[in-house]
Amino acid sequence: MRMWIYIVRRLLLVIPIVVGVMTITFALVSALPVQDRLISAFGAPPKNAPGGYSPTIPCSDLNKSQNGTCPNPLYVRDTHKLGLDQPIFYQWGVYIGNALTFQWGYVDNHSGASQSFSQIQGQSVATVLGWFLPYTLELAILSLIIILIVSIPLGNLGAVYRNRPIDQASRVISFSGYALPGFLLGSFLLFAFVLALGPSVNWLDPTCKTETWYQFWVGSWPQQSCYTGEIWPTWLKNGFISSPTGFPTVDAMIHGQWWLAADSLLRIILPALVIAYGTIAGLLRFVRNSMLEVMNLDFVRTARAKGVPEKTVISRHAGRNSLNVTITVLGLTFAFFIGGFPVVETIFSLWGVGRMFVYALLSPYDYGLIFGSTLLFTFLVVFANIIVDVLYAYLDPRVRLG
Amino acid sequence: MTAEGTTEVPTPTAPAPAKVVVSRRGRRPNPRIAQMKRTWYFLRRNTLAMVGIVILVFFIGIAIYALTQPIPWTQLQQQCASAGINPPTPGSGCVCTYYAGSANPGPGCYQTPLNYPSEIAPTFDLSHGTLGPYPMGSLTVAPNNPVFYNIFTGLLRGADWSLGISVAIVGTGALIGLMVGAISGYFGGWVDEALMRIVDIFLSIPQILFVIIVIAVLVSIPVFQPFDARIALLVLGFVIVWWPFYARIVRGQVLVVREQKYVEAAKASGAGSGRLVIRHIIPNSVYPIFVQMSLDVGTIPLLLGTLVYLDFPIFSTIYFPEWGSMAALSVAGPNGVSTITDALLTCQFGSCVIPWWQFLFPGLALFLYAISVNFLADGLRDALDPRLRR
Repeated sequence: MRMWIYIVRRLLLVIPIVVGVMTITFALVSALPVQDRLISAFGAPPKNAPGGYSPTIPCSDLNKSQNGTCPNPLYVRDTHKLGLDQPIFYQWGVYIGNALTFQWGYVDNHSGASQSFSQIQGQSVATVLGWFLPYTLELAILSLIIILIVSIPLGNLGAVYRNRPIDQASRVISFSGYALPGFLLGSFLLFAFVLALGPSVNWLDPTCKTETWYQFWVGSWPQQSCYTGEIWPTWLKNGFISSPTGFPTVDAMIHGQWWLAADSLLRIILPALVIAYGTIAGLLRFVRNSMLEVMNLDFVRTARAKGVPEKTVISRHAGRNSLNVTITVLGLTFAFFIGGFPVVETIFSLWGVGRMFVYALLSPYDYGLIFGSTLLFTFLVVFANIIVDVLYAYLDPRVRLG
Repeated sequence: MTAEGTTEVPTPTAPAPAKVVVSRRGRRPNPRIAQMKRTWYFLRRNTLAMVGIVILVFFIGIAIYALTQPIPWTQLQQQCASAGINPPTPGSGCVCTYYAGSANPGPGCYQTPLNYPSEIAPTFDLSHGTLGPYPMGSLTVAPNNPVFYNIFTGLLRGADWSLGISVAIVGTGALIGLMVGAISGYFGGWVDEALMRIVDIFLSIPQILFVIIVIAVLVSIPVFQPFDARIALLVLGFVIVWWPFYARIVRGQVLVVREQKYVEAAKASGAGSGRLVIRHIIPNSVYPIFVQMSLDVGTIPLLLGTLVYLDFPIFSTIYFPEWGSMAALSVAGPNGVSTITDALLTCQFGSCVIPWWQFLFPGLALFLYAISVNFLADGLRDALDPRLRR
C-alpha cells in the first residue's frame, strides 16, 4: 500500500472518533439548564434585553398593553437557533454542526473567568483559544523534545547496563515520576529556583533589569514595566496576543527581539521539565524492556558475529527500535500528557489553553470555555495519534504494507 | 522484566509450589488457588514489591485505626453541648470548633472559613515559636486565616478517605470494564467493533479534563447537593472516565482465552454463552487488570489532589481530609491565595518563613503511598507474566 493511501485511510478513521467525542460533550451540555446552554452558546444576554434569557418576562417590558407574563422573544429566538424546540436528534445535529465549524460559543461576561480576566469578555471561545493555543503548542513541543532526548538514551542504557547503577537510576526516575503529582513537583521546582537564586534581581535577562527571580519564573513574558515606555509592544497586544504567528518565541524572533525570544524559551523550560518528567516515567520501562527483547534477537546476534562494534550494534541495530516503541507509547499516553497542562500552566502562570480551562472553572463556571478547551485538547490528542500512526508506518514498513 | 526469551526457555511450572498435591479427598487442588500461590511465590522474591506491600499494609492499618476513632467534630459537638453553646448547624455560618486566633482557645461556636465543620480537628497548639505566623504542624487553607487544621489528624483521617475513595473508584471501574471487555471480546463482530470504538472515544478525551467536566455538569443537579452525594458524584465522575482502560485490557485477554481448549470443551459439553463467559472466560482473564488496578489505586489520590489544586469548587463546601487534597491545599491555588504563594512572594524580597511542614508531610504520605502501590504493581506484572519471570 502506498503511503498516501494509508494516510487517507487513517484520516477517515478520525471522523467517528471526533463525532463521538462531540456526542459525549453534547450529552453533558444537554444536562445543563437551558439558560446556561444559551449563555454558553451566545454569551451573556445583551444589556438592553429585559429579563435576559428567562423564558417569560412581564408583558409590560415588551410595550404590550396586556398584563401578566409573555414569552421572551430573545429566549424563543435563541432556543430555536440551537434547535432546543426540536427533537433531541435535531439538537444533536445542530451541536455537531456548530462544533465542527468551530462555533464553540461565547465567553460569558458574568462568569468567574471573565471577572478575573477581563480581556476575554464577550469574545468567542474559538478566538480566545486561538490566542492561547500557540503558547500551549510551544510548551508541548519543548516537552516532547525533552522526553525524546531523555527517555530513548536512558532506556537504552538501562537495558545495556542491566541492574547496574544507571539502570537503577532510571528505575528510580520511573517510579518517582508516577508518584509525584505535577502540582507538587512544579511547586517544588519553582520554590527551589526562587530560593536558590535568592532575592537578587534577575541577571539572566538584560531586557528587564528590575525583575526579580520570582517574576522571571512566573509568566510567559517579562512584566509590562520592562518594555520601553512601560507599554506592551505593538505586536504583543495586551501582553498576550502576539502577532503575526502567535507563537511567542517565533514572533519575538520575527521582530528581531532576540533576547525576548530567548527569554520566552527560558521561561517554559521548567514547566516543560515538569510535564516531561511524568511522561518519561511511563516511557522508560517500555523502552528498556523492548530494548532487552531486541538485544536477544537473531539479527543482533548476527551483527555481533560478523564483527560490528558493540557501540554500532546498540545504536544502529538494536537502538532503532526504541524510537518506534517511544512513539507508540507516547501516542497511547498522550491524553495523560495533555492532562498535565492545566496544572503546570497554572503553577507557572503561563498563557495557554490549560490556563483558560482553569479560569473557566472559577465560579460561576464558564461552560462555553470549559467545553471549548476540552474539545481543543481532545483534538490535539486525536491529531497527535494520527501523527504517531503515520510516523510509525514510516518507520516500520510492515504496518503500511500489512 | 528480563527477556532471555530465545536463549533460556522459561520452565513451564514454578519450582516449589507447583507440585501437584492430591488432597485427602483425592481431588486436584483448585487451579486458581495454585495460580495465586505461584504468583505469591514469585512476588515474595521481589524485594521492591515486598517493600511496597509493607508500606501499604502500614497505611491500611492506619486507615482501619482511623475508622475506629471518633470524628473530632463529633467530640467538639458534645463539648459544646455540655458547655451550653447553641448546637451548630452546618452552613449557617456558625460552627462548633476551636478558634485559632486567640491565645487560649476553648471549644465554642465560631465561624470557619467555609462555614462547615471539618472532619479534621483544628490545631490545638498555637505556639508560633520562632518559625513565623503559622503554627507548627498545622495546615491553613488560606493565608491570614485564623483556622488552622492539624496535619497529624488530617493524615490519620485521610488514610481511610484516600484508600476508600480510590478502592471504590477502581473497583467499580474495573467491574464495568470487565463486563464490557468480556462481552466485547467474547461476541466479537459488530458488538466488539462498536464497543471498542466507544472505548476509543472515551480514551481520546484527556482524563483529568473529562472527570472535571463530568462533575462540573452533574454537580448542578440538586440530587448531588449534600456532602455524601458529592463524594458519590466524585466516584461516579472517575468511574465514567476510568472503565475504558479496563475494558480494553480485558478484551485483549478474552480474545486469547476464548480460543483455549477448555473453553471449547465447555462449549462442547453444552455450556451456554452466559456460563462460558462467567465461569470460564472472566475468571481466566482478570489477572492482567490487577496490575492496572493497583497502578490506578495509587494514581487516584494524586488526581484528587490535582482537582483540588485547580480550585475545583466541588470541595469548597468542606475541608476534605484526603492526602491528595491536603497536599494540594498546602501548595497553591490558582488565585494565588495560599500560604506557600504568600511566602514565596515575600521570599523574593529577602526574609521569609516557609511553612515547609505544610507540604512536606501530606506530600510525603502521598508519595509513599503512590510509590508503594507502584512497587507492588511492578512486582505483580513480573509475577503474573511468565515471560518476565526471572
